Amino acid sequence: MSDNNLNEAQKRVGVYVCHCGGNISDVVDIKKIVDEISKYHSVVVARDYVFMCSSNGQSLIEDDIKNMGINRIVVAACMPSLHELTFRNAIQRAGLNPYLYEHINIREQVSWVHKDNPQGATSKAILLIKAGVEKVLMQDPLNAIRVNAEHRVLIIGGGISGMRAAVSSADNGIEVVIVEKEKKLGGKLNRDGYVYPSDEKAVDIVNKFSKKILSNPLIKVYTESEIINIGGYVGNFDIKIKKTDGDIDNIKAGSIIVATGFDHYMPYDGEYGYKKSDYVLRLKEFIELLSKSDGLEFVFKGKKINSIGFIHCVGSRQNEGIDAPQADGKVNEYCSRVCCTSGIYTMNKLKEKFPDVNVYDVYADIRTYGMESESLYEIASKHDVIFFRRPLDERPQITFEGDKIKITTTDILSFNERLEMEVDMLVLLTGMKPSEIDDISGYLKLSKSTNRFLQEVHPKLRPVEMNINGVFAAGTSLSPMDITESLQSAQTAAMKSAILLSNPDIPLDPFVAVVDEERCTGCGRCVEECLYSGAVTITEKTIDGNIKKVAYVNPAMCKGCGACVAVCSERAIDLNGSRLSQFEAMIDAIVKE
Amino acid sequence: MTKKVNPKLLKEIKKYGAFDISACFNCGNCSAVCPLSKEELSFPRVMIRHAQIGDKQSILSSLEPWMCYYCGECSSTCPRDASPGEFMMSLRRYLISEYDITGISKIFYRFPYIQNIFVIFIFAIALITFLKFNGDFGSLAAKIELVFPFYITLYIISYLFIMYKKTILDRLKKFVVSLNPSNIKNMIVHGFTQKNFIACSEKDYVRWFSHLLVMSGYILTLIISNLHILEPLKKQYLLFTPLSVLIYYSSLSLIAGGSVMIFRRLFKKGQSSKFSHSTDWLFVIMLFLIGLSLFLTYTSNIVFGADSNLLEIIYKINIAIEISWILIVVPFTKWIHMFFRPFAIYLNGLKKENSQVIVEEI
Repeated sequence: MSDNNLNEAQKRVGVYVCHCGGNISDVVDIKKIVDEISKYHSVVVARDYVFMCSSNGQSLIEDDIKNMGINRIVVAACMPSLHELTFRNAIQRAGLNPYLYEHINIREQVSWVHKDNPQGATSKAILLIKAGVEKVLMQDPLNAIRVNAEHRVLIIGGGISGMRAAVSSADNGIEVVIVEKEKKLGGKLNRDGYVYPSDEKAVDIVNKFSKKILSNPLIKVYTESEIINIGGYVGNFDIKIKKTDGDIDNIKAGSIIVATGFDHYMPYDGEYGYKKSDYVLRLKEFIELLSKSDGLEFVFKGKKINSIGFIHCVGSRQNEGIDAPQADGKVNEYCSRVCCTSGIYTMNKLKEKFPDVNVYDVYADIRTYGMESESLYEIASKHDVIFFRRPLDERPQITFEGDKIKITTTDILSFNERLEMEVDMLVLLTGMKPSEIDDISGYLKLSKSTNRFLQEVHPKLRPVEMNINGVFAAGTSLSPMDITESLQSAQTAAMKSAILLSNPDIPLDPFVAVVDEERCTGCGRCVEECLYSGAVTITEKTIDGNIKKVAYVNPAMCKGCGACVAVCSERAIDLNGSRLSQFEAMIDAIVKE
Repeated sequence: MTKKVNPKLLKEIKKYGAFDISACFNCGNCSAVCPLSKEELSFPRVMIRHAQIGDKQSILSSLEPWMCYYCGECSSTCPRDASPGEFMMSLRRYLISEYDITGISKIFYRFPYIQNIFVIFIFAIALITFLKFNGDFGSLAAKIELVFPFYITLYIISYLFIMYKKTILDRLKKFVVSLNPSNIKNMIVHGFTQKNFIACSEKDYVRWFSHLLVMSGYILTLIISNLHILEPLKKQYLLFTPLSVLIYYSSLSLIAGGSVMIFRRLFKKGQSSKFSHSTDWLFVIMLFLIGLSLFLTYTSNIVFGADSNLLEIIYKINIAIEISWILIVVPFTKWIHMFFRPFAIYLNGLKKENSQVIVEEI
């Protein structure tokens, strides 16, 4: 494109202001903006529309490019993460370079936050748009970076999510490598008992998936293996896998799905009497015990069990100051989501087997969400399970009296009376915590939430996508979820990875660092500052016959964060799409007023 | 004070009918829609929770069950179909058997067929004895009918004493009475008009009307029999006299009201008729039969004359039905609610007057 060579007079800017159906126009004086901006230098046309993102709004822009020769676009609307891509595509359809475009946020940053001051909001919007015009005038046309992609996905973890992602990926014709640290695929599902809502045996589900996986020539399974390094970038990840025999396999993959799952919360010794008595069990232990118990009476270690108490939220929804902190000093504030349903499902199984056992359930909130699960709760009531609701900031007290376990709690349902019940056995509905995956999240530099689970880029707009291009997460590595939900997220991750790998090369945003090799002294401070190892390196280059050390940016790995720009004393490194000179022009435009 | 949870109580109360109550998850919709539940006398949720945690003390000292007139709005609102209205009904059955010093109610409620057998048995014995009796049956009937009020009064007094003991004496640990006129007036007004019942089932006019018929018809029948107004074997009655109007009204009211009630129970019309405990059937069928036999006795007297053999047989059947009704049905079934309800209102007033004492107690 010859756009680079346009002189100032040839740059024709079109500004498009969106009402957002009133979200913006109720506060901001759109007419005034359009009047003022159309007088601004280089602006050829300024228009407004009720919904610029609608197809009519987009056509306004496309028509102006075609009919009026507009070659720089500014859209003032909502936040760029919502519709930047929408407008970029519209511009591309009209035959213009899609990066000759600036998106100004006058909704979240103006109308929503300055409701009480419409005049100030209007002037702020005008300033921001003027700055945007200055920026876009200095914008160079850019082209998406394209990298070759290995047609292979690495799946870390062979639990239910990993297995589902493997099968879905292979169904899309993509080669799969699964790495599982245990001897067998299946993860936490390799246990006794049944699973809701389908009432299937857990191991049956594992076997069904294992069979599919092991018979599929596209899927390669590493069991009892661990990943000892991951390098590279989207399309070209290099993975080192250490096998049982100590040998190391090197493989390449275009994308990665992290399905490392969860660990059961382990109560500390004495938490609700855990380990102080053989008759205080975790739910997992109880499920195994129940599936082994048969006959007319429920007997455990020689004692007939006539009554059982269940305690919800063990290790979940903790309060600071009430519960003991975890290793990182924080308490688990999150809800583990599956324990209510799983616990109540198990109580129903217990009541079907041993209807005469009295069951007491001490909860804070019952969260048996979902289509089928509410009925499990109702069935439990009908089975005469007695429910007790404790206040959120109180914990039931457990004491031992002879061979009885005494639970004392405040019960909101009984008008805040203190109630006590004697039971023969206590079951703790322990929650989930993320698996220890510091190694893997370290290699990949994945971000985690405050709850220590992996964090998606955006839970609604970009679910299962990690902050690193080409890396996705599935199942309980993201947050506590049940099997059904894990399968859904695994499916989503597999589909996103398949879409990514469907092209022979992967398009990436061109907003990466570029080095002015003449100015660069090869000092290496940018390398020290870079958060993404390998994105910028020092290489030797022959310039004008002299061998010179200069910085080199691998555009596939650079995230465009700008950390290197900030430390370069020579102004030798700059960011495509957000050059320092552009920022200077924007600031000038703002302070000029 | 920590209370001990006792899962047995709910199982016990379920034997009196509340089959669905386990499904209750304490949402409180029942109490919210109840037109009679008040802040100081809140039900059904509070009562259900007492039962779920096995707080027998609180149940036995509760007056709330008698404030409920079973309109059934709670049951039709219940999101879990736990039938709280039927639970309140069962609670009344439970309380009657807990307040009954003879323990007979307990047996009748828990093994309803025994009551049915007894009703038929007493009826049969009485009828056979009467048929073999060759003397002056008119005088014998007069003596039998004289015993009825004594028997019932004795039973009612024992019930009310135990109720007083459980709800007042055991809680206050002292003997108190209230002579407050408004308290006594309240009791009398509620006792005679059952006005809460009307307030409660405003929309169900058929139920209200059939109850009105049965109530008024039955009270008149009671007066006729206890005062021994009717002497069909001694006097010749006419088709239209003030007495005949009284007889027609009371007997036909019982026949019509009883039929409607039987019909509603058969076809499960309205929430309160959805579940029929065996004692409910006995109650409505007996009312119907009392009305029918009274009507036939009177009309036979007119048609066949006072000395007719057929009349004597019909009259003997009439008295035999009354005997099994008074002995076996009246003290142990819903009928007795008529006395519990106004008394509960009185006791509630008494409780309020002494609430200072209760607060100190707690």
